[in-house]
Amino acid sequence: MFRLRIASALLLVVLVVTAVSCKSEPANLWEKIEQEGKIVVGTSADYPPFEFVDEDGNYAGFDIVLMNEIAKRLGVEVEWQDIGFDGLIGSLQTKKIDAVIAAMSATAERDEQVDFTQPYYIGMDAILVAEGADFEITSKEDMAGKKIAVQAGTIQEGWVDENMGDADISRYERAEQAVMDLKSGRVDLVAMDFFAASNYLKEGGVVLALETEFASEHMAIAIPEGSSALQAELDKIIKELQAEGFIDQLALEYLSEE
Amino acid sequence: MGHKILQALPYMLGGIAYTVGITVIALVVGLVIGMILALLRVYGGKYAQKFAAIYVVVLRGLPSLVVLFIIYFMLARFIDLPPFLAGCVALGVCSSAYQAEIFRGAIQGVPFGQMLAARALGMTKLQAITVVIMPQALRNAIPGWSNEAAVVVKDSSLVYAVGLAELLRRAQQVAARLYAPLAVFAVTALIYFLLTFGVNRLLGWVEKRTRIPGMTEVR
Repeated sequence: MFRLRIASALLLVVLVVTAVSCKSEPANLWEKIEQEGKIVVGTSADYPPFEFVDEDGNYAGFDIVLMNEIAKRLGVEVEWQDIGFDGLIGSLQTKKIDAVIAAMSATAERDEQVDFTQPYYIGMDAILVAEGADFEITSKEDMAGKKIAVQAGTIQEGWVDENMGDADISRYERAEQAVMDLKSGRVDLVAMDFFAASNYLKEGGVVLALETEFASEHMAIAIPEGSSALQAELDKIIKELQAEGFIDQLALEYLSEE
Repeated sequence: MGHKILQALPYMLGGIAYTVGITVIALVVGLVIGMILALLRVYGGKYAQKFAAIYVVVLRGLPSLVVLFIIYFMLARFIDLPPFLAGCVALGVCSSAYQAEIFRGAIQGVPFGQMLAARALGMTKLQAITVVIMPQALRNAIPGWSNEAAVVVKDSSLVYAVGLAELLRRAQQVAARLYAPLAVFAVTALIYFLLTFGVNRLLGWVEKRTRIPGMTEVR
């Protein structure tokens, strides 16, 4: 019995030591990134042209190229992690990743959970309808009474919730599912990011009813709350890239039609 | 379009390594824990029986995805498991609850008189369990276990939620890039079917090979 007590006392010491040593990790996220020479970035690689996996299995798209350039200027490597869009904020909060770039808009709700850099891109919204639809959408009022589809967690979902509260809203895990249901006639219209929509327009079966700035997405890189040093570094480089026209060039390459 | 899906196939098939890896490890974890729980439930003392019963009730009541999130996100402040391991542990723990019931049923399916007979021959209880009861019980467990294996193959896809690009996640990526969800997911469904079919055929073969002639009637 005595030996058992010694053993459990030892175990307790070990547990306390590990608990304490866990707490004394580098307090500053930016220092940690600099030390390790890599930044772990989460994305949701199912959202072309912003982020997707190309033919060779590599990450590609507007956000990917942008983040790689930012990291290059920070002097670190990017370690990409592909996580479902819904899991990104949680992964950031539990420090599984250092940053998120995923065409994510800096909304007030998200800002309570994480911090954002300054916006690197301001997006437009598209309202899609099925080909041959017998109604027109020219304003917010025209959307009333329609079955509206959105991708869960997007800024368009938030806008529809706020402004079309009593509408029949279908929420999908991925944008492609919303477009599929639009084609099959289960919903009347899809509200989504304009550039993400442009590829579906090329595919056919759906047409653009309205290009608008309802939700006006301010896309920004998300980082864990309170990581101000990292935020300052990222903000500096984003401003640099905007001033140099790098981001405009990238948008032309990836986001413009044709 | 078919041509492009064919091109993407090697990438999708690369995800099978994760799918199979998670399935095998989760099944082994579930087998070990489940067997111990079943033995506790049948032969354990009052508290051991209670513990095993509560474990099974609680874990069967939780969705696997919730268990995965608990292990990956909430335990992160104590142990930081990578997605692959978190998936193996979560699915293994979930599977152990179902496997415990499969093994309990199999053990209790061996007539109780055999235990009495073994003890009357001078065997200890442990000997009776290991050389008389379990060899029969394990054979009885194969059909139910085969069922559970098929379930775990498909549940392994849940791990994409914490960022592991296994088969289903890769299919999602390809579907998003090619704007061809129907065709890509049809291919994915076929792959999952072949995996479960293979597992079940393998276990069917094991069942046949280990059958004791004359013990179970073969029609």
